[in-house]
This record gives sequence, C-alpha cells and structure tokens, in this order.
Amino acid sequence: MNYVFHILIMINIYIILSVSTNLLVGMANLLSLGQAAFYGIGAYVTAYALIGLGLPLLPTLLLAMGVTAIFSFLLAYISLKLEGDYFILATLGFQIIIFTILYNWIDVTRGPYGIPGIPSPKLFGLVKIEGITGYIILSTILSAITIFVFYKIINSPFGRALKGMRDDEIAMISLGKNITVLKVEAFVLSSAFVAIAGFIYASYISYIDPTSFNLDEAIFILTAILIGGTGNIKGPVIGAVFVVLLPEILRFVGMPDNLAANMRMIIYGLTLIILMRYRPQGIAGEYKFSK
Amino acid sequence: MNNTILHINSVSKSFSHSIKKLNGDVSKEEYCVLDKIDLQVQKGKITAIIGSNGAGKTTLFNIVSGLLNTDKGELFYTPNGKKYNLRKISPYKLARIGIGRMFQDNHIFPKLTVMENMLIADTDPYGENAFTSFFYHRKKRKIEKERKLRAEQIFEMLFGKANPFCEKQEDYAETLSYGQQRLLGLARLFMGNYKLVLLDEPTAGVNPVLVKKIAEIIRKMVDKRQMTILLIEHNMPFVESLADLCVFINTGKIETAGSVVEVLDNPHVRENYLGKRTTKRNSTDAQA
Ligand SMILES: Nc1ncnc2c1ncn2[C@@H]1O[C@H](COP(=O)(O)OP(=O)(O)O)[C@@H](O)[C@H]1O
Ligand SMILES: [Mg+2]
Repeated sequence: MNYVFHILIMINIYIILSVSTNLLVGMANLLSLGQAAFYGIGAYVTAYALIGLGLPLLPTLLLAMGVTAIFSFLLAYISLKLEGDYFILATLGFQIIIFTILYNWIDVTRGPYGIPGIPSPKLFGLVKIEGITGYIILSTILSAITIFVFYKIINSPFGRALKGMRDDEIAMISLGKNITVLKVEAFVLSSAFVAIAGFIYASYISYIDPTSFNLDEAIFILTAILIGGTGNIKGPVIGAVFVVLLPEILRFVGMPDNLAANMRMIIYGLTLIILMRYRPQGIAGEYKFSK
Repeated sequence: MNNTILHINSVSKSFSHSIKKLNGDVSKEEYCVLDKIDLQVQKGKITAIIGSNGAGKTTLFNIVSGLLNTDKGELFYTPNGKKYNLRKISPYKLARIGIGRMFQDNHIFPKLTVMENMLIADTDPYGENAFTSFFYHRKKRKIEKERKLRAEQIFEMLFGKANPFCEKQEDYAETLSYGQQRLLGLARLFMGNYKLVLLDEPTAGVNPVLVKKIAEIIRKMVDKRQMTILLIEHNMPFVESLADLCVFINTGKIETAGSVVEVLDNPHVRENYLGKRTTKRNSTDAQA
C-alpha cells in the first residue's frame, strides 16, 4: 500500500509541475528550459525554512513561492525582451547557473552531499504532517488547488489574453495589450506554483541534492506536458500520470531495473517522436506546436 | 489644425538589404520606401490611399501604428484638443488613445472563439491581470457580461438579428470563411473606443456582396461612431462610393491629393496606376 501511496505522491508533484509549466508553454508560447531550477529553488528554500528557521507549513510554503517568484521575475525581466529561440537559451542559461550554484556553493547548499534530515512541517504549529498518509493528503490538496487555480486562470480574461498572444502578438498590440506585462505575469505565476512541487518534494523525501533539479529534470518536465498535451488542464495532468507511471509499469511487467531505466528513456523518446508525427497536440492537448 | 486628427509631417523611411555579388562580396543597399510624406488627415472623413503594390502604403500604416520607426519626420495625433507625439508612444498604447487598425492579412485569433475574438478586442484591459484572474470578483464578472452584451449588440447592428456570428459565437474563429473573418476583423473595431481607424485593403479577395457589406460597415463607423477612416484600397468603385478624399502614392511619394473625383480623373494617376482607360467606372478590381 505504501508503494501505491508513494507513486500517488509523485504523481501529485508532477501534476503541479506540468500544470503550472503549461501556463508558459501551452498558453503563453514561452518554452522554458529553466523549470527545474525553480523547482530546485522551491525545494532548497523549503529545506532552509524548515531546518534553519523552523517555520510552520504555510509560512514555509509562502516563502518558497515568494523567493522563487522573485528569481523568476528577475529572469523574466532580463530575458523576455529576447525573441523566440533566444528566450529559450536564456532559460537554459538560468537553469545551468542555478544548478552550478546548488552544486558548488558548499557552505550554503552542501553541494553534492545534499541536505538530509529535512523535518516535516507543522500545520498552524499543531498538526504535524507525518508519514505517507500525511503526505498523500497534503500533496493531493496542493495539487487540487493548483489544478483549480490554473483552471480558473485558463478560463479568465487573462487566460484569453495569453491565448491571443500565442496566436498573434501583432494583433494583440494593435488591440492595446501590453504583451511584455502578460508574459512576465505568466512567467512569475508559473514559477511560483512550480515551487509548491519543490516544497512537497523536499519535505516528503526529507533529503535533497542538486541532481534532482538539473537540466535532465527540466527536459523531463517538458516531456511530460508535450506527451500529455498543452493548452488545457487535461493534457498536462495526463502527461504527469504517464511519465510517473511508465517506469512502474515496466517494473511491474518484470523488466530488470537496470534495463528498465534505459528502456524508460527510450519509450519517452519514442512516444514523443510518434506523437509529434501523428498527434502534435499530445494525448489530450489543444495546442499544436506548429505555425 | 482644428479639423485635422493626424498630422504626418515629412515622414521618410528607408529599408536596407544585402546584395551578394558574384565575387562573394556583400554590400548593403538602402532603398527609400517613403519619401517625405506630408498628409493632414481630416477628422470625420474617409480618406482613401491608392497606389500600386509596393508603393509604400502599408509601410505608412506600420509607421502610424508604431510597428516601424521613422527615419525622419514627425507624427502628431490630435483627437480632441490633446496632442500626442506618436513617435514617443509605445505601440500598444495607441489603441487605448483611439487609434485602431485592421491588417491586410486578417490577424484575427484563429484559436479563440468568435465571441472571444470580440471580448479580447475591448481596449480596456480590465480583468486581464494574472494575479486577480483566479479570484471570484464581482466587478470582473459584471464587466465580462457587459462586454458580451456589447458584442452581441454590435453583431446585430452590423449583420441583423439572425446573423452567422451570433450563431457561431462558440466556434473557433478559424472555422469562419475568409470573408467572414474580414467582417469579424471589422466588427471587433467597434469594441474599442476608436477615433482613427486604419483599414488596409478591406475588400481584397472578397466577393461583391461582401464588398457592399464592408462599405456599409465603414459607413457605420463614421456615422454611428464618429470614427475617422484612413483606407488603403485597390477597388476604385468602392473608393468612389465611399471616400471623401483621396491620396495617390507612387514610389513612396504623395503625387496627387484632393477629392476623389479630382484624383481619379487626374491624368497622371490614370497613366501610372489606373491604366489609360477612358471610362473611369469599371476601371479596376485589382487583387492584392
Ligand atoms: N520590413 C521590411 N523590410 C524590408 N523591406 C520592406 C519591409 N516592409 C516593406 N518593405 C518594402 O517596402 C516596399 C513597400 O511595401 P508596402 O508598404 O507593403 O507596399 P504596399 O503599398 O503594397 O502596401 C516594398 O518594396 C517592400 O518590399
Ligand atoms: Mg500593402
């Protein structure tokens, strides 16, 4: 049973990552290779708040989201003036810089040794989130809130403006829309919610190290939403479930672990290629990456 | 001054392109697309801009709407007592001060529904802020409802009670025919509060019935909403029936300006643009 719960918690974490990343990739047409960096910032701030400051749950969560939002605002401010592919390269640069800092600033992050012993947070200083049941409840609530918030956003005038911008920036300008502001807002909002995933991960696993937040992870998040599909909520959710479940299915059918690890990467790659060829909007998305 | 809404003073624009010679050298060559354009656009009037393909008409629109910078010259917009220097205003702000534009290629939003295409065209961005977008908010609701009502009224005013746009309001705009997309592009200009509207070849590629419809819509822009219209057109009967004033641009220069009859009867315009026909009635139906 614990095994199933563990999988469910990981699915919740990836739902939060993919649903919030979808706001950028599927709604605002901003492909970001830096999502794992924000995930990592959220996780490290969480570790610091729980170990160093001994904060309760909500302040820790808000601090993680806030610090991540500040980083994303700075990155957005610098890079959104860049067009298309240059924006992607800027997010790639950011991802590499954050990983390098996490890896090498040993005094603060303990570098490759990681941070062990992250305690469970207390809700209002009373209820301790404990054990796997505690985390299944916490992660389900947080991923439900994320889904709710992004559902609201997609169906709001702001969501409509993002879709408009995705379709046609010139037309948006001619209708009086400040597209730079729209992009910065989407970027900051998306990153702040990615930090929630970092919060759950750090306090649930109780140990973090930089390798969980490297470029591979950033690409993995993108893979999830490209497979599931973007532009709506369904797509990213299905993508998150798919990428988390696939390795477990491979194990279930009796594939030895070392083979399964490689097999899984091959299957992700093949799925992507086949989808892009026959179903570019992903399994359940509504937006095709073609112009 | 009083009757002028847009002052284009001696505006020039050159583009440069690289030429690769046979010996492999690359040289840059400048070519002038607009050459000291002077035009005072009269408030409340429909001014047609005519001229051959490549004459620089769209470039002039791009400069007025801030998508291109000028090399030289000044642009002032004086809607009602205020005076705006258009060279100092960000392009997105122009719609908010009353300058609207319809593009030569439709530029409607294919993946938004017909209704969303109207709602998004409200130049007041109320409710488009990210951080309030997931809260319930009574005023936001009210404004959205009011926008929708306004859009339906516009459809009805332009296309009658039972019109395809109200029926198809939940469909993606890409499902509309080309002609209907044009009409939608015009209809959405009624969602803003425009004083000056730039229309780039509104009748290009649409059938005669729609051409009549488009003429009606433009008349309504002027009569019901007091918009001033700058109109690029190749359809001369359309220009004759609709426009008050006419400007002929040839290779980046304004060569003739005046009333429509004056300009279309001008021998120079006939020779260089209309063709040497003797009857001016069925002169041209040029495509873009
Ligand atoms: N962004 C640009 N870069 C280079 N040349 C351009 C650009 N835009 C327009 N031109 C050139 O300027 C000239 C005028 O174009 P345009 O204003 O579109 O003509 P039209 O009168 O048919 O609307 C053409 O020769 C075109 O190739
Ligand atoms: Mg043109």
